[in-house]
Amino acid sequence: MAASAPELLPYAKIREDLFRPLSKGSSAYWTTVFGALSIVILGAVAWGIQVRDGMGVTGLNRPVFWGFYIVDFVFWIGISHAGTLISAILRLTDAGWRKPVTRAAEAITVFCLMIGGMFPIIHLGRSWLFYWLIPYPSERLLWPNFRSPLLWDLVAILTYVTGSVIYLYLPLIPDMAQLAEHNVPWRRKLYRILSLGWTGSDREWHALERAMKLMACIILAVAISVHTVVSWDFAMSIAPMWHSTIFGPYFVVGAIFSGIAALLLVLGILRRALGLELYLTKHHFNNLSKLLLLMSLLWFYFTFAEYQTVWYGNEPSEMAVFASKIRGPYAPFFWTMVVCNFVVPFILLGIRKLRTITTAMVSSVCVLTGMWLERYLIVAPTLGNPRMTSASGIYTPTWIEFAITAATFAGMIVLYLLFSKLFPIIAVWEFKPHPVEEE
Amino acid sequence: MAEFRDQPKLESAILALKAAGIGADDMDIFSEEPVELRRGILDRPSSMSLVAVVGAIVVGGLATAGVYAAQHNYRLITGGMPIFSFWGTGVITYETTLLGSVLATFGWFLWESGLLRKRDKNVPIPTVLPGVMCLRVRCFDPHVTRARQILDTAGATDIALKEVA
Amino acid sequence: MSIDLDRCTGCEACVVACHAENNLPVSSPDQAEKGRTAHWIRVDRYYEGEFPDVKVKYRPVLCQQCDNAPCEPVCPTYATYHNPEGLNVQVYNRCVGTFYCANNCPYTVRFFNWFAPEWPEPLQLQHNPDVAIRPAGVMEKCTFCVQRIQRGKRDAMVENRPLADGEIQPACVQSCPAEAMAFGDLNDPESKVSKLAGSGRSTLLLGELGTKPKVFYLERAK
Repeated sequence: MAASAPELLPYAKIREDLFRPLSKGSSAYWTTVFGALSIVILGAVAWGIQVRDGMGVTGLNRPVFWGFYIVDFVFWIGISHAGTLISAILRLTDAGWRKPVTRAAEAITVFCLMIGGMFPIIHLGRSWLFYWLIPYPSERLLWPNFRSPLLWDLVAILTYVTGSVIYLYLPLIPDMAQLAEHNVPWRRKLYRILSLGWTGSDREWHALERAMKLMACIILAVAISVHTVVSWDFAMSIAPMWHSTIFGPYFVVGAIFSGIAALLLVLGILRRALGLELYLTKHHFNNLSKLLLLMSLLWFYFTFAEYQTVWYGNEPSEMAVFASKIRGPYAPFFWTMVVCNFVVPFILLGIRKLRTITTAMVSSVCVLTGMWLERYLIVAPTLGNPRMTSASGIYTPTWIEFAITAATFAGMIVLYLLFSKLFPIIAVWEFKPHPVEEE
Repeated sequence: MAEFRDQPKLESAILALKAAGIGADDMDIFSEEPVELRRGILDRPSSMSLVAVVGAIVVGGLATAGVYAAQHNYRLITGGMPIFSFWGTGVITYETTLLGSVLATFGWFLWESGLLRKRDKNVPIPTVLPGVMCLRVRCFDPHVTRARQILDTAGATDIALKEVA
Repeated sequence: MSIDLDRCTGCEACVVACHAENNLPVSSPDQAEKGRTAHWIRVDRYYEGEFPDVKVKYRPVLCQQCDNAPCEPVCPTYATYHNPEGLNVQVYNRCVGTFYCANNCPYTVRFFNWFAPEWPEPLQLQHNPDVAIRPAGVMEKCTFCVQRIQRGKRDAMVENRPLADGEIQPACVQSCPAEAMAFGDLNDPESKVSKLAGSGRSTLLLGELGTKPKVFYLERAK
């Protein structure tokens, strides 16, 4: 195609391309959905076994009381920062290339938050009592302890979920109003209700744009605070190598890093699967790759600073944790993480000739693996090397934890596939049509 | 109702209609994507920012006060920390402030855009094709012909009259 | 509480007594290998030197009932808090099992009920009726035998007399053959524990963390 920017395509083609995925799904689509759903069910069964038999079915022990579930929690909440960075910052700086990317990013945020938010419930010893953390007048005559960082988690994630859902919903309204006009009856009704009777008047557009600008600022502030608060679950404790002031910014950088990687991967898959090559061009992937590289360098800076400080301070309880990561049983994971998070992106994305869409997707997969390992290396080594060395231990996860972790990845796939079938994954109204009449 | 395909023509039409005495409240532009008119032509004043700030302060303040009341309701000592401190509650204050601004923004958007207000069922809503901007003017009998004239001279491509009871 | 490390022989009678008194669940070999066994009081062994000049040091470690307990502020449901008597109490029915308290304890003296507790026959007949059996999913730890404290206080109140020093003894203190442990009221300057705590041999475990533990280890200064 001669057109280099998606905005220059004739409008009818834009409509057709972006609405086509909403029609009947192919067999590949439904196979993927049902395959992923079966993994989700396996995870649910695993959790059921855990609830029935007790936490002993996992690999948790004394002293490693937190394991895969907390790693997954931090990981998924981290990825949810994709949407906010891309959508909010690029909206605020009026960067044109964000247009085909924002809704995919915002959807990632919402679904990752939903999945990540499951883990504070899954990891509880008595999961069925999770609602005791919610402040409501209870028969225990006690409110929850607001001094606990876990309550801060609750408030922060609740705020972020509310904000993200609204931030996803607002720009969806005009598209749903359009969809309400041509579709199957049950969908038409759904879109009409959800679009709240949007007519496209200038009053509505002005209000929407103003709301989006405000929401972009607010959601940015929320996103930065949310992962800081999650990091404070660790930093507020006095465990060796957790009690570090760098954790706040470190986790935010790591979150944005893994978020961009996830976004890159998702966009790469969508581009091929939905035939959106004209809209998600090399230009977009180039920009996202550069952002990924930047975040990789930032991540390396923070990691280096953290480890350098620990090594130089040479404090015995911290050095025990440090040694177990660099040379001890966790060393293979540690060095894999460094390669995945820094070496691979640096080479593949730093060298212009090597920076293609495929290598960007490869880097993203590496980064996601590396970031999961990074969360694991934050949780397990510290807990395995407590101050009282007589209580040291090692963590060996069981199939239950693997199943639940796999189920979350599968769950993300299911949610995203269903979303892309119900709503256009690229915001149609953001593409201004060609000013003259269509040829 | 008049259709325009050219933004400058639409702007001159609006200015002319305003000069003829038709207020900004009686004019609406319908389009499939937002139309950016030059400043001063058809401004819609908004208090959304103020509402967001007010909502933020209210919810944040209420939440902090709520935490204070909850902590003091049944004083339990934990690890030498004070029963209530702004340091300890700072996170909750911050998050609920932002939550307040989010909810206030969304709620005000629903109100200001007219999406949640009672609609006048008799008022016609044009179906617009992409790329087209439809200007809907509401005026009473003596002005109708004058308005029609202005729209014609301004270069509207399609003018339709609809009578409303 | 004070523990005299120069008297401790490492016999672990305190460990056994604690198990008997507090209905601690019996572990199995593979669960023990996974690190799931609960010993509310444990004896840590430190070896110095090479064979044949090996010296062993014993340190019984139990919940230090810290005044500045790091485990208390992090519990979201107030399942662990500081009661007016100065004990760090664990309220089993409020615990939802977030594990935060155990992660924050620098002494690693908290234990979790990984499964519903089991006792091979006929050990279940030996249960102490004054102590709750904890269900799966809650955290537990040494309570300074709070049931004995309650009984002692109640007896003193019924008989209309003040508590005598040394009248209440947790199971570990009672069972120590070397009489290395003492338990009493730190607020009473005349009690045995107060005097021992104020002596020159008194040290705190991980005292530099500022947890203000209430277990004083007596050892000869090096």
